[in-house]
Amino acid sequence: MPQTLRVIYSAFRMAMLHWIADPQWVIPNVIAPFVFTFVALTLFKEATGPFGLYAVLGGGMMGMWGNTLYSSGFAIEFEKWQGTLEEVVATPSNLLHVIAGKSISNALFGLTNMAAILLIASLVFRVPLDVANPILFALSIVLTLISVSALGLIFASAFVLTRSAQVFTNGLEFPIYVISGSMFPIGLLPFWVHPASYILGPTWGIEAIRIAAGQENVSLTFWLNVGVMLLITLAYVALAAFLFKKVETKSRRDGTLGQA
Amino acid sequence: MSLLRIFFSSAVFSFKAQFSWLYPPMWLAMKLVMPLSQMSFFVFVGQFLITTGNASADIVAYIAIGNAMTVLSWNTIFSVINITSHDKWDGTLPLVLATPAHRLPLFVGRAMIHVFDGMLSVAISFVYAVFLFGVNFGNTDILALIVVVFLTAFTMAGFGLLIGGFSFYFRNPLVFANIFTFVLLIFCGVNFPVQDLPQPIQFISYIFPLTYGIDAGRKVISGSTLIDIAPLLGQMLIVGFISIVLGYVFFRSFEHVARKTGRLEAV
Repeated sequence: MPQTLRVIYSAFRMAMLHWIADPQWVIPNVIAPFVFTFVALTLFKEATGPFGLYAVLGGGMMGMWGNTLYSSGFAIEFEKWQGTLEEVVATPSNLLHVIAGKSISNALFGLTNMAAILLIASLVFRVPLDVANPILFALSIVLTLISVSALGLIFASAFVLTRSAQVFTNGLEFPIYVISGSMFPIGLLPFWVHPASYILGPTWGIEAIRIAAGQENVSLTFWLNVGVMLLITLAYVALAAFLFKKVETKSRRDGTLGQA
Repeated sequence: MSLLRIFFSSAVFSFKAQFSWLYPPMWLAMKLVMPLSQMSFFVFVGQFLITTGNASADIVAYIAIGNAMTVLSWNTIFSVINITSHDKWDGTLPLVLATPAHRLPLFVGRAMIHVFDGMLSVAISFVYAVFLFGVNFGNTDILALIVVVFLTAFTMAGFGLLIGGFSFYFRNPLVFANIFTFVLLIFCGVNFPVQDLPQPIQFISYIFPLTYGIDAGRKVISGSTLIDIAPLLGQMLIVGFISIVLGYVFFRSFEHVARKTGRLEAV
C-alpha cells in the first residue's frame, strides 16, 4: 500500500476505534440533531408549506456539521490530553494525511447522522419524506458531507495551535447553523451576513439537497449550487493544506505544541 | 466561619480553574457569541414562520426571551458538571476528596460562581433581544427580573449539581452535561409552550427549574410584578432545593462507592 494511503488508513482506523471507545459521539450524531429537528418540527407543526422538508433536511445538515466540528476539534484535543500530539506531529507523515484519515471516519459517521434524522423524522414525527430525485438527493448529500469535512479541516488546523479547541467546538456549532441557513432561507438574514453565507459550502449544499428532494427534474439552479459548492470545497482543501503546512512548521519551530 | 471560607474558596477556585484550559479572551468571546448565535438561530426559524404567514410577530419575543434565559444552562449545567470532569482529568479529584473540608459548602460553593456567570450571560442575551430583535422591555420591573434570573440560575445550578453528583461515578460526566443542555431546549418551553409537547411527556418539563424560570421571566418582561409570579418562583425553589439535596446525596454516596472500589479517577 502506498505510504500516503497507509497513513490515511491508520489514522482512519484509530479514529474509528476512538469513536467506538468514547460514547460522546452520541451527542453530535444523535442527540443534538434530534433535539433541533424536534424543536423545528414542533414549531412548524401547524404551518402549511415546505417546513417539514426544511426541518428534517436542515436537522440532518446540522448533525453533519456538529459531527465534523466535534471530530476535528476533539481529534486534536484528544491527542493533547493523551500527550500524543507531539508524536503525531513529529512523525515523518504529513499531518494533513493524518487529519484526512480522521475526517474520512467522520464522514462515515456523518452519513449515519443524516440517515438517523430521516429515520427519526419518518418514524417518530411521521413527516412524509417523498424524495423526488433519490439519486441526485444522495449525490448532493455526499458532496455536502465532503464540503463540510473540508471546512472541518480548516478549523482542525487552527485547533492544533489553541488549547481552547473544545470551546471552539461548542462555540462554532450554532453560528454555522445560522449563517448557512440550515433551517430557513438565507434571505431572512441581514444583508451584511450574506457574504459569509456564500463562502460556506454547506449553504449551497443544503439548497441543492432541498431542490433534489423537491424536484424530479431538477432545474439548472441545482447544478449551479453543486458547482459552486465543489469550487468552494476545492478552495477549502487548498487552504487547509496551506494552513497545515504553516501550523506544522510553527509547531516544530516553537516547540510549544503540548502547551498550546 | 470555616464553612463560609470553604464555600467562598471553592467558588473562586472552581471559576479560576476553568482558565487552565480556556484563555480569558476566549471565555469572553464565547460569552458574546454563543448566546447570540443560539438566539438568532431560533429567532430566524420563527421569522421564517412569520414571513410565510404561519405565526404572528409575537413569536420573536417569545423565542428571544426563552433562549436568553436558557443560556444560563451552559454555566449552571455544563460548567458545574465540568468541575468534576476536569478534576478527574487533572488528577485533582483524590486531593479534593482527601481534604477534611465539609462536603456541603465545598459541593455548593463550586457551583455558586457559575450562578453569577450565568446571570451575566443572560444579561448579554437580553441586550441582544432588545437591540437586535426589538423585544420590548418597557413594562419590565428590572429588580423583579434580576430576582427571577438569579433564582433561575441558582436552582439550575442545583440541578447541575444533581446531574454532576449522579455522573460523579461515570467515566465521562461531560456526556451528561451535553445531553441535558440540549434536552432543556425541548422540555422547558424555550421556543414553544410546554403544552405543545405530546401530553404524556409534558410532566417531564416540570422537573426542570428552568421551565418555571422562563415562564416567570416572560411574565416579568411583559409587566408582571414579583407578587404575581411568587407561586412560580416558589415551585421553582422547591424543585431546585430537591435537586441540591438529591445531588448532595448522590455526591456523597458515589464518593463512598468510589473510595470503596478504588475507582475514584475512573476516566
